[in-house]
Amino acid sequence: MNNETTNAQNKSKVKSVVVISTAMLTFITFWKAAAIVLCDFGSSAFYAGGIAYNAFGPAFPWYILGVSFFSGLLLMMYLESCSMFTRSGVFPVVSAGLGEKAAQLAASALLFDMALTGPISGLSAGNYLIGLINSTFATFKINIVINPEMFSMIFAAAVVIYFWYQNVKGIEDSSEKSAKIIKLSLIICGILFLWSAITLALRGTVTLPPLKPQLTKEAMGWAANIPFMQKVGYIGVLIALGHSVLALSGLETLAQVFRELEYPKIQNLKKTSMIIFVFAVVFTGGLTFLAALIIAPQDMAKYSDNLISGLAMSLTGPTFLKLILQAAVVFAGGLMLCGAVNTSIIGANGTMNRIAESGILTDWFRKIHKKYGTTYHIINTICLTQLLVIFLSRGHVYLIGQAYAFGVLWSFVFEMVSIVVLRFKNREQKREFMMPLNIKFDHFYIPIGAGLVGFIVVALAGINLLTKKVATISGISFGLVLFLIFHISSRLNAKKANIMFEEGPREKLNETQVPELNKAFENLPYKENVIVAVKNADNLYHLEKVLTDLKDTEINIIVLYVRPLDNWSAGKDRERISVDYKELFTQVILKAESFGRPVHPIMVNGNDFFAAAAQVAFAAKAEKIIMGVSGTYGANEQMEYMVMAWAALPEKYKITAEILWPGREVSFKF
Amino acid sequence: MEIKPQQIYLINTPTMKQELVKYLVSNICAGTALNQEDIFKAIIKREQGISTTLESGLSIPHARIEGLTSFRAAVAIIPQGIQDNYGKDIKVMFLFLSPSGEQYFPEHLKLLAKLAETFTPAFIDELCTLKTVEEIATKLPF
Repeated sequence: MNNETTNAQNKSKVKSVVVISTAMLTFITFWKAAAIVLCDFGSSAFYAGGIAYNAFGPAFPWYILGVSFFSGLLLMMYLESCSMFTRSGVFPVVSAGLGEKAAQLAASALLFDMALTGPISGLSAGNYLIGLINSTFATFKINIVINPEMFSMIFAAAVVIYFWYQNVKGIEDSSEKSAKIIKLSLIICGILFLWSAITLALRGTVTLPPLKPQLTKEAMGWAANIPFMQKVGYIGVLIALGHSVLALSGLETLAQVFRELEYPKIQNLKKTSMIIFVFAVVFTGGLTFLAALIIAPQDMAKYSDNLISGLAMSLTGPTFLKLILQAAVVFAGGLMLCGAVNTSIIGANGTMNRIAESGILTDWFRKIHKKYGTTYHIINTICLTQLLVIFLSRGHVYLIGQAYAFGVLWSFVFEMVSIVVLRFKNREQKREFMMPLNIKFDHFYIPIGAGLVGFIVVALAGINLLTKKVATISGISFGLVLFLIFHISSRLNAKKANIMFEEGPREKLNETQVPELNKAFENLPYKENVIVAVKNADNLYHLEKVLTDLKDTEINIIVLYVRPLDNWSAGKDRERISVDYKELFTQVILKAESFGRPVHPIMVNGNDFFAAAAQVAFAAKAEKIIMGVSGTYGANEQMEYMVMAWAALPEKYKITAEILWPGREVSFKF
Repeated sequence: MEIKPQQIYLINTPTMKQELVKYLVSNICAGTALNQEDIFKAIIKREQGISTTLESGLSIPHARIEGLTSFRAAVAIIPQGIQDNYGKDIKVMFLFLSPSGEQYFPEHLKLLAKLAETFTPAFIDELCTLKTVEEIATKLPF
């Protein structure tokens, strides 16, 4: 072979191979997604009942159970919002539905919720632990009683500091750990149910708790001064529900975890929601109910801060066995509650990042840690706020519980109202799931079911404004401060926000140069590969079609971009226009994320797109090369050149090339 | 498809790509009812899309022609080479016309594949050393 021959082969050889990776392309199963949500949402089972008991007495289990059932309706509302937004959650949904200012208010309420979730969960875990320690001392006649509030305060602060450090370092995927915690909790829940059934059977008679709440003056708040509200009727029921609604905290995690859910996304979200609903009813509602049935009335006050431990210690059986069960409850509850502290930090960081991405927050918030690459200013702010709340509460869970529902409810109000508004505003938008009970009228689906849920949430939030003084004052103050920060920050950042808006979002991409093509495919999870060649961020129809139609999930989808070299020579001059590959891959990632299917982006430099695509396909041993139709050439021309490029390879096998565009496709096996 | 010596041209004088295309088209169309001008325009239009010149030095100008019922081709060997519009060297030009019907498209693609596969840089170098069209015809696997 002479020099010219070698030159010819070298000219068309790809020049540089870059493997693109991002954490955004890791997807999880519905079970793991449910576990992540439950570590936050389910943890309220450990304190919601006790707080409700302190607010309105022995009727509390009915209301916690009611709220647990109501979670099913909220989950359906979340399903609808997630079917519209892959990166769902309060901020994007309210932005779309009610505008940016309302979204800032909603995010403020949600951040208030998250600022309190950490402390309440940490304190609650501390309460359970100190409850166990004090019970053990009492059982073994050791005359030491540790102050629960002080212990819980120190414990909660330690947990927040631990997770602050972990989050600054950049916490690894915790879904596996969450799944283990939930499995353990379910086992202990099963034991509690079984033992409770035996206890109730041995006792012979079961007295159901009263339905009517006994609202204390404190629980009535300002409503105590409004005569008609003092009568315990429907309003009393609403007030009691308002005191129980903190059991719903953590549902927002579902919206945040939806992005990570694997294909098929909505079907998996339905399964996730079903698991969460059953868990809420059985674990939160059921255990709270059993606690009310089994704990002696005179012991309720003693166990109000660690209700499930109270249930364990009130069962019939030998003390040492009950102590072991209590230890198991404390262990599982402690893990779940500590997990909720972590989820609140991650959730608040995620929400603040979403706000920052929209250009509202200044660069100070978005500053990346030099070593760990995390948004450590945001994490520091969240954790400092949580520590402040812990010390201000002096370890009293009930006090935080009073304030807590404000954030939960008002973020729901904004989100639920937005979902209803979006039915009219974005009526053409595709929804794979719609909240049931709709009347079709012209182009609208009038949302009767969604409207009712929205109405209940607004009613509960309205009642809470009057009855929960601590929540109203602290929530509004916190919300206003945060809203003010957003407002000032967005003013300061206006110029940058405009640039960000024009450029569109950019994913953080990790680019790894590999020495040769084969190396780029060494770590792919499956044996079979398809190549999807992309060039234009606005022309990804073919990728979408592959993500929709490729039923076999055990095929690697390699997304290839051939970056033209300076001496690009195989096309018209207009092909010299350089593509913003970060924008291109951002759109690819967003597309893959919306389907929950991983893709493997790769970028090569080459003189000739088709020759490069052929080499990549050969190196990957792909069975198909899929392209979109070019705006410059016809599909047939593309197919001709692809065929020539493949045939010109020194070694080859049978391969199929497909060119896809709306309504048509050209396919050829050669 | 069979390539006879009279369809092969050994080009030893300097020329331009378009001139060579025109020359081959006129030879393919000679003695037929095909419109030489229309075919030339169709081929040039196709070339303005994605260039059909491969890095190996093979150029495959072609067009799908309405009314045609069989494939027609002409081959030029240019030992000294000419440059296409994008600076690629052309040492063999295989110009062909194919029927425009969709049913012929797979065969059209197969021909392109066969050409790209056959005309490796080494094979092109070998063809360039041959002195007569008869010798070249015996080497072509058509």
